[in-house]
Amino acid sequence: MNVFLLAVAAAIMANAFLCLYQAARGPTIQDRLISVNIVNTKALIVLLLVFFVIGQPGTYLDIALVYALLNFVVTISLCRYAETERGALG
Amino acid sequence: MAEVLLDALVVLLCCTGIVFFIGGTVGLLRCPDLFARLHPSTKCDTLGACSVVLALILRSGSSFVILKLLAVVFFLMLSSAVCGHAIGRSAFRSGIVPWHKPGVEPLPPEEQ
Repeated sequence: MNVFLLAVAAAIMANAFLCLYQAARGPTIQDRLISVNIVNTKALIVLLLVFFVIGQPGTYLDIALVYALLNFVVTISLCRYAETERGALG
Repeated sequence: MAEVLLDALVVLLCCTGIVFFIGGTVGLLRCPDLFARLHPSTKCDTLGACSVVLALILRSGSSFVILKLLAVVFFLMLSSAVCGHAIGRSAFRSGIVPWHKPGVEPLPPEEQ
């Protein structure tokens, strides 16, 4: 079962790299924000899967919780920045 | 018997999650526009991530772990919906015009 969970993690990581390519390609800052948001979610899921493969996930799960909250705060603040600066970063 | 059934359910949920993740990635790469890309990205967040976390909930033993995983799901749901709306609003306010098919007239702007 652990091998299966690692395979799931590998598949999700391959997806995350494709999203990272889209983040490099996206023409506007909001495109990049969408891609980075998805990469964050996928990294969170890979983190959870790896915690379960290692064993004793209860001790590590706080990291995943903080990561989910950080993802939210980062995206909201960058949206606010892009909105007020009128897309100054292009 | 029960363990085999539980493992089968975990495999099924993980595969559902991967299907939605791949769908989200394909949508992100193929959609023509930022506003169209918001749709697959939020699907990826809610359905894909939540089904994988549900599989992990089925695998975890203690109720403490289940509680923390449910908190992760809660924050994922919250952040996915709110971030999608915030990114869309930010794009609309910085003057990005929604894409429309060439040769098809776009809808007239709403009366203010």
